[in-house]
Amino acid sequence: MSAVAHSLPALAGLGAAQAGLPGGPRWDERRRAALERLVTLGLPTPRDEAWKYTNLRLLERRDLAPAPPRPLPVGALGALPQHAGPMLVFVDGRFHPALSSTTLPAGVGFTPLPTLLAGELPAALEARLGADDSLDERLRLLNAVLLGEGALLTVAAGRATDPPLYLVHVATGGGAYPRLVISIEAGAAARLVEYHLTLGEADSVAVPVTDLVLGAGARLEHYSVGLGGPRAIQLEDVTVRLDRDAAYHHLQVALGAQLARLDLRVRLEGRGSGARLAGLFVADRTRQLDIRTRIEHLAAHTSSDQVYRGVANDRGRGSYDGMVIVHPGAIKTDSRQSSRNLLLGPHASIDARPQLEIKADDVKCSHGATTGALDEQMLFYLLSRGLDRDTARALLTFAFAEDVIAKLGVPELRRFVEERVLGSLPAAQLIREFIR
Amino acid sequence: MSSIVKGDPILEIADLAVEVQGRRILDGVNLAVRAGEVHAIMGPNGAGKSTLSQLLAGRSGYEVKRGTVRYLGEDLLALPAEERARRGLFLGFQYPVEIPGVNNVYLLKAALNAQRRQHGLPEVDAFDFLGLVRDKMRLMQMDESFLSRGVNEGFSGGEKKRNEILQMLVLEPTLAILDETDSGLDIDALKVVASGVNSLRRDDRAVVLVTHYQRLLDHVVPDRVHVLVGGRILKSGDRNLALELERRGYDWVRHEASAA
Repeated sequence: MSAVAHSLPALAGLGAAQAGLPGGPRWDERRRAALERLVTLGLPTPRDEAWKYTNLRLLERRDLAPAPPRPLPVGALGALPQHAGPMLVFVDGRFHPALSSTTLPAGVGFTPLPTLLAGELPAALEARLGADDSLDERLRLLNAVLLGEGALLTVAAGRATDPPLYLVHVATGGGAYPRLVISIEAGAAARLVEYHLTLGEADSVAVPVTDLVLGAGARLEHYSVGLGGPRAIQLEDVTVRLDRDAAYHHLQVALGAQLARLDLRVRLEGRGSGARLAGLFVADRTRQLDIRTRIEHLAAHTSSDQVYRGVANDRGRGSYDGMVIVHPGAIKTDSRQSSRNLLLGPHASIDARPQLEIKADDVKCSHGATTGALDEQMLFYLLSRGLDRDTARALLTFAFAEDVIAKLGVPELRRFVEERVLGSLPAAQLIREFIR
Repeated sequence: MSSIVKGDPILEIADLAVEVQGRRILDGVNLAVRAGEVHAIMGPNGAGKSTLSQLLAGRSGYEVKRGTVRYLGEDLLALPAEERARRGLFLGFQYPVEIPGVNNVYLLKAALNAQRRQHGLPEVDAFDFLGLVRDKMRLMQMDESFLSRGVNEGFSGGEKKRNEILQMLVLEPTLAILDETDSGLDIDALKVVASGVNSLRRDDRAVVLVTHYQRLLDHVVPDRVHVLVGGRILKSGDRNLALELERRGYDWVRHEASAA
């Protein structure tokens, strides 16, 4: 390990950090194997095609070891909006029962990962906890190196849960490697809201991996709001598999963190399944916010729709790297990709790369990307009606973001996100009037 | 809110020359518009009509090479666009832009309040405002749904033009410049737009209609008609000039001017 570890100081300490993780010798061995593999492959660099836009150099100076259990100060979750649904709280990846709801709706199953790892697992579940060590999935591998925390969440066949389930992730400093395994069984319907928070200005590195399976005809609305602190790094990997006629909606809003990246892979395996994906990032100050999607159409009559909006200001950077692959036989695929990006300052930058790979006939695919400043014609129109320049700019910026915010299907969440976005703009009060 | 009386100078353009990206578009325009008057500026495509309209409203990207523009006695070109609007100058756009996500009515309210602040008046009462907008919408034969839509979002060409006139009626500008507001309208819509413009006519206001065709002038009768060709006003007259242009086209004006 020495030759490679030399260039990877961040990985060097992970062997020691593995000691005492949940699951016993059998999982210890798997984690050791994962580390060996990761050290051989190394962490991604911008030379890797999949990591062209995300520079992980920041990780080199961070302690990646999992955070020790710490008590959460009173009021740590005070920033969150009031909500009606059951809440499950994870602190540095660890399930925190005292802060979580004690009862869950009928049909919802929940097991913390340490409990799960201690027992015998069905083969299928065990496979889902394994690491995929292909080159561009090294973050999953990093998660596997420190696997131990997280949970299994299931919604039983035919059940519809309402109100939404809330998953709250709090980083207090140090590493967090939660693994979430979520199954929405055949015919079930659920809504899931995830919040990612940081305690103050803590130095944190979170590498959450979520593995989602939707059974035949299942529906999931999945919302994720990133509110990380100024020293928070989050590298999230979400993989979704859809059976016949299943429908998955994912909407991510990234408003915080120093560096946050989401890798979202969707496999449309069942005929008639569909994914609607949307996202908004606001990269102000020196934030870097990246999103990478890989949508695979593997069956006929599948659909995917992607609407991503990015805003960068100050020295903020962002990227959308989207790929749609239509596999042979996936006829009547309907796929749309739209990435629009707004640069508000001369030092801000956004890269957008929508891509299509079509290996089937009889498909309907479209993609488009734009990156630019505020529309001059719109700006002049507002000025010509007497609005001052700052207000006009803020209004247009908000209207641009609203395209995605309006898709948030949970009203209290939508209002919360609107307020957060408004809070970062001048003339917030006037804009509030425009949207009421 | 003004002490303007009929005959007061509203807009005075003297020897105005303007370039856009190094190309001379306006080349010595002279024009005087007084309170109580309606002027029509006519001319072929490319004559500089839209440049003149947009320049007066404060659009950037124009280089003034010489000449002056005074509005209510002040140097108009020294004022930013928003300031001109607040002082009562209104441009009805030839191609009103769609702004999804920005509500039509709230824009109108913000515009009205910006103007009221300028005159030291309190913000308009929300209830009174809605009543005012509804009255004007009836006049413009506009649907209730306009209240909840984004600015011009998904509007047809005719709806956009009506929306411009609606804004004008609510803001009650001292000087309204309407840039080809009549283009793309069917005859019924044209009549609605014309009655909107006519309802604005008052002794303390002025209107400049920039148009390609004289058909709007059948419904809004101008006091003066000017022919803008090649960046200059080559001829001015009363409404009969518009009828003559309709009959004979623009070429004779050019020939007459070069012969003189």
